[in-house]
Amino acid sequence: MYRAVAPLVFQVDIMEILLQLVYSGIALGMIYAVIAFGYQLTFQTSDTLNFGQGDALMLGAMVGLTLVNHGVNFWVMLPIVVVFGLLQGAVVERIGVAPAIKIKSEFGWIMSTIALGIIFKNVAENIWGRDDLKFPSPLPEAPIKLLGANVLPMEILVVFGAIVMMLAVEFFNRKTIYGKAVVATFNDRDAAKLMGINTGLVITFSYALSSATAGFAGALIAPLTLTGATMGSVLGLKAFAVAIIGGLNSGLGIVVGGIILGVAETTTGFYLSTGYKDVPGLVLLLLVLALKPSGLFGKTAIKKV
Amino acid sequence: MNRKTLIAGVIGTALLAGVPLLTGNPYYLHMVGTILIYAILLFGLDIVVGYTGQVSLGHAGLFGVGSYTAGVLFLKLGAPLWVIIPASIGVTAAFGALLALPALRVTGPYLAMVTLAFGTIIQILINEMDFLTEGPLGIKISKPSIAGIQLDEHAFYWLLLSLMVFSLVVVDRVLKSQLGRAFEALRGSPVASDCMGVSVYRYKVYAFVVSAGFAGLAGCLYSYSEQYISPNTYNFELTVLFLLAVIMGGRKSRLGSLLGAAIIVILPKLLDDLDMFRIVATVLAVGMALGAGVAIGRKLSTPRQMALPVVGTIALAAFSYWLESITDWRLSIFGLMILFVVYYLQDGIVGFVRGLWLRKATRLSGTPIADMAASSTAIRSAQNTGNIAVGDDLLKANGLLMQFGGLKAINQVDLNVKRGTIHGLIGPNGSGKSTMMNVLTGIYVPTAGSIVFAGQGIVGRTSSDIALSGIARTFQNVQLFGEMTALQNVQVGLHHTFRSNFLDVALKTPRYRREEAASVARGKSLIDFVGLTDLINDEARNLPYGKQRLLEIARALALDPQLLLLDEPAAGLTAPDIKELIGIIRKIRDHGITVILIEHHMDVVMGVCDQLSVLDFGQKIADGKPAEVRSNEKVIEAYLGGNAA
Repeated sequence: MYRAVAPLVFQVDIMEILLQLVYSGIALGMIYAVIAFGYQLTFQTSDTLNFGQGDALMLGAMVGLTLVNHGVNFWVMLPIVVVFGLLQGAVVERIGVAPAIKIKSEFGWIMSTIALGIIFKNVAENIWGRDDLKFPSPLPEAPIKLLGANVLPMEILVVFGAIVMMLAVEFFNRKTIYGKAVVATFNDRDAAKLMGINTGLVITFSYALSSATAGFAGALIAPLTLTGATMGSVLGLKAFAVAIIGGLNSGLGIVVGGIILGVAETTTGFYLSTGYKDVPGLVLLLLVLALKPSGLFGKTAIKKV
Repeated sequence: MNRKTLIAGVIGTALLAGVPLLTGNPYYLHMVGTILIYAILLFGLDIVVGYTGQVSLGHAGLFGVGSYTAGVLFLKLGAPLWVIIPASIGVTAAFGALLALPALRVTGPYLAMVTLAFGTIIQILINEMDFLTEGPLGIKISKPSIAGIQLDEHAFYWLLLSLMVFSLVVVDRVLKSQLGRAFEALRGSPVASDCMGVSVYRYKVYAFVVSAGFAGLAGCLYSYSEQYISPNTYNFELTVLFLLAVIMGGRKSRLGSLLGAAIIVILPKLLDDLDMFRIVATVLAVGMALGAGVAIGRKLSTPRQMALPVVGTIALAAFSYWLESITDWRLSIFGLMILFVVYYLQDGIVGFVRGLWLRKATRLSGTPIADMAASSTAIRSAQNTGNIAVGDDLLKANGLLMQFGGLKAINQVDLNVKRGTIHGLIGPNGSGKSTMMNVLTGIYVPTAGSIVFAGQGIVGRTSSDIALSGIARTFQNVQLFGEMTALQNVQVGLHHTFRSNFLDVALKTPRYRREEAASVARGKSLIDFVGLTDLINDEARNLPYGKQRLLEIARALALDPQLLLLDEPAAGLTAPDIKELIGIIRKIRDHGITVILIEHHMDVVMGVCDQLSVLDFGQKIADGKPAEVRSNEKVIEAYLGGNAA
């Protein structure tokens, strides 16, 4: 009897821990998916990416924290952060990307979005300090039992919020006339221009949306992690891994990719060492780019000569 | 290297060598030493950024690998300098190769992300693998000794200087050789590089390995110079700083790298002094405002264009008076500098100065270069590797099918091209002619079917391999290496004539000198052959469109092909030029080179072709002599439309 019970208990423990790791992995993964979604938005309209996407997320979290500390309700804060993100994204596009698109310099936009990212991070360090801060949780911090494992209410909110945000943007793109302009610009920038669409404005708008989703994600994830000026850089890079795994033009891909990466990370952090937790994402990025650059869900583009 | 740069180089080196004698202050000596170390790294980084045109965000990581190889060898084994230097270079070069593996498949932003991920992983590994690297504690290293004598600060400085000069000479030689041209060709047009037998894969890895080797050398010297290393040095900011240095100093210039190194080392020290920064910012703002005023006054620029930089510099000056401490804002300043350089100083300081100087120089001289060699020797008669007699099939394609999704761009086409003929390939737009070219040169792998060239199957082989086996081509939309001169473009085609390796180039062995001289002579005669003698030293992108097409032919001939594919060579040519082109094509055939010609000018096609194949909607509808094809009903229908039912 004694012998039979012990392994059983042990097994339950393992299952519970694993499930818990999966839960927090999913929550983290949804954040990656949202940032990756932001990459997709700009990539679709202009073939460019914001290398400072992680810093947009950080700014969203920091602005959110300041608002909450000034007594603004969490739920009121979220839309304000989204508006802030919209503005920040538009600024990035106008200063960093539009001039580079004009002179058709790939090097130009890569370097200038990196430069803007550095500036944002540095400014944040000077405003909010270099130390990580605690973001008060709007929901009870006591875990709920779900299928036998603990899950934080905040984690559920993150998953829910991420999905809502992505669906909202998708709805906008598919159902409204402005969204159709975005899709048209994605399909053929020159043709869209000839049809009277102000493609420059569409691109600016896509950057605004992209930063808004990142900022929103930042404010959502902040209560679960520590909030600080450096929180964005690695997040942005790993989200790029997700965007690549999912393919830069596949919506489902990034959710799957995000969850894969999130779970890979929480399990590595638990079983190996938290120091290594960033490694799986980065290695995954290197592998996918080395083996299948169009991503697991993306389509290979035919090069024309 | 010409005499003037040699003299300047010697004077510069002598001045740098004199630094320890002029200042006894170890602080300044260490600062200049750091500049020399960074310069070595930047020479390498410039190969990747300036020549192959890729953004590498992984060089701080490579620098770290070099530093830590030195540190670990010193700590664990107490290895001496002469072991540590080659080991650091070797290990870092190996990491460079590793980094290049994903880089093979991707370019641009993807590559930037790959290198960034790589750099981040290196930093994490250095931090976490504390059994090897001591983790965040760091490693202490003492100054090296040579032959039992401990180097003091002066001697170490001279060691740095000699290694910097050594690196400079090696990098300069490599970049001026066929290797450098191959790197630059990758940037200009990867497809064309492959089709000239310069494998993009191979040379991208090559560039990364060489570049990483220099990063390793720099990293190892940095360990000795600082005498203490810790993981946090090799972070994202450092990598961005390196990139800033390369583009601000000036791409594709050794002087630019030195200048860039000096800027990123000295500037932070200057920024430590707030008063100094305020003065600099004010002077900059006043200078910019005056400059903009002059530029607008002389109508060189519009107020709109000048508004942003003027407002920006004034804002910066105002900001400097508001600040209480500048050190915290260091990164923002660097960020602003990057933005400025990217949009207003794209060619860097060296490029900017050179631009000013060149504008003056071209006003003074404009004489064309004299005719150098007789063009009759330019084309080498086609070798006959497959032993195929004139009149037999040199190229046999059977049942070729090229499918893109549901579209069959080429549908069950057979093509037989006889040796020594000019074979025309015609058909309406979208009939699959260019796709055919791309299939024959390995750019597309056909969905089905076989291609036998000179007795060997070529389906599935790489473009560069096919090119080296004797198929050369030109492109419908010109694919020249824009920033290279006409002569250099042709020399890329002559890449296959070089047997020299990296060492030959670095040491300038007789073999390399001989091959380089031969390639210059051959390149000149090929350019004479297509009639571009006057434009030999012009950058390809500055040539008129028609001349670019002729240059492509010269470049393709440099490959010494058996089969030459010409994709619409007459497009954009004037009537007299077309006549000349017909002459050129005939002369090519007279040297035994088989030609496949795609062309829409029917007079050209009917005038020169021995044999014609006609494609329509991916299918071959006719085959035969020009006269037969001309009267073929299907062909007439395809071109002029059939009878309406």
